[in-house]
Amino acid sequence: MNLMANILINVIIAFLAGSLLLGLHRKVMARVQKRPGPPIVQHLIHSLKFFFKETAIPKTVSRVFYIGIVFILALIWIVGVIVGPVAHDSLLILFGVYAVYKIVEHNSGSSSGSPYGKLSCVRAVLSAATELPLFASIVFVYLITGTMNIGEIIAYQSAHGPLIFSIPLAALMFFMLIITKSPYSPFAITKDKALISGFETEHFGFLRGFMLFSESIAWYVMLWVFLTIFFGPLSAVGYLIGMVAISFITGFINAATPLLSPNHSVMTQITIGAICFFGTVLMIFTGVVA
Amino acid sequence: MLDYMIYILTFAVGSILGLLYSYKQHGEPFVAVTKFNIPFTVISIIGWVLGFNSGNIILSAIGFLLAGFVMGERPGYGRKETAVGLIVGIIVYILLMCRLM
Repeated sequence: MNLMANILINVIIAFLAGSLLLGLHRKVMARVQKRPGPPIVQHLIHSLKFFFKETAIPKTVSRVFYIGIVFILALIWIVGVIVGPVAHDSLLILFGVYAVYKIVEHNSGSSSGSPYGKLSCVRAVLSAATELPLFASIVFVYLITGTMNIGEIIAYQSAHGPLIFSIPLAALMFFMLIITKSPYSPFAITKDKALISGFETEHFGFLRGFMLFSESIAWYVMLWVFLTIFFGPLSAVGYLIGMVAISFITGFINAATPLLSPNHSVMTQITIGAICFFGTVLMIFTGVVA
Repeated sequence: MLDYMIYILTFAVGSILGLLYSYKQHGEPFVAVTKFNIPFTVISIIGWVLGFNSGNIILSAIGFLLAGFVMGERPGYGRKETAVGLIVGIIVYILLMCRLM
């Protein structure tokens, strides 16, 4: 198939699947809290709706940056789709995508001119604590498989079995990143309701539409990467079951957990990351991991 | 990947149509419906069975459209019907797999 067509199809799938999974996530949270919750398709309708709303630009914004950052956000997650599901390329590029996403989160808040956006921007710097466990997790995958290439990691797993059985604590570190990125997460300090919508507060109309579009793609890409690098070669049904299961689990966790304060959030992430890191190192040195 | 895109697109369109239809039919505030809607159950069963088992892009797409239509109904409606349709669809899928093995 033509590469451009392949990219387009994968981006559409990522957007639709990500939106429906986020809708499911919200539904699960609602049911745990004994509310009926919105329909599963609501997140998708919500995203599309914003593209047709009037776009207002506040006077206090840094205009070029304020508008440009939204397109950069969409672009980096499209790159995530290209590197992951389309090309099966290097995990390091995906790590780069996540790092740039943090910068975008930071700059989106700072360009808005809103105090809520600025506070969210400061918290985005703190929440970079999630990148350390993510990086450690990727390093362990490299140490075991000897490659950063997703295609080769899949090939390794088809020969030696899924990595979740050999380095479960590294998978737990990656899973913590997924919890952090999920809506209403205990670690989502940049979108604390005390900050209204955090760095997104001052983005209206189609700009917000692009942000929701990017969020859906981001959710799909992260679930895809997690399932691919820890659960071996999966069929489409396998990915579907895995993504639905993870959305369910994160929905339960987020519904039952209050939002942590920034310092507690960072300390919890670092502590879980450190325990998993040293646990995996111990497993490797004691020969538990071959 | 084109087939998966068609499936997910038809499922999303079906869900939106189901939502619009059920809001037109039921304008009242939220009620947890206990009644079992037989026609919607049949639609859901046809949808999930076709979606999972037809092996044909067009028939599967129609199946996911129908399944999405029932699943996408407003909160409180279409839950049991979807559960029945999904269970029947999965059972038929497993039976067909066993037959092939």
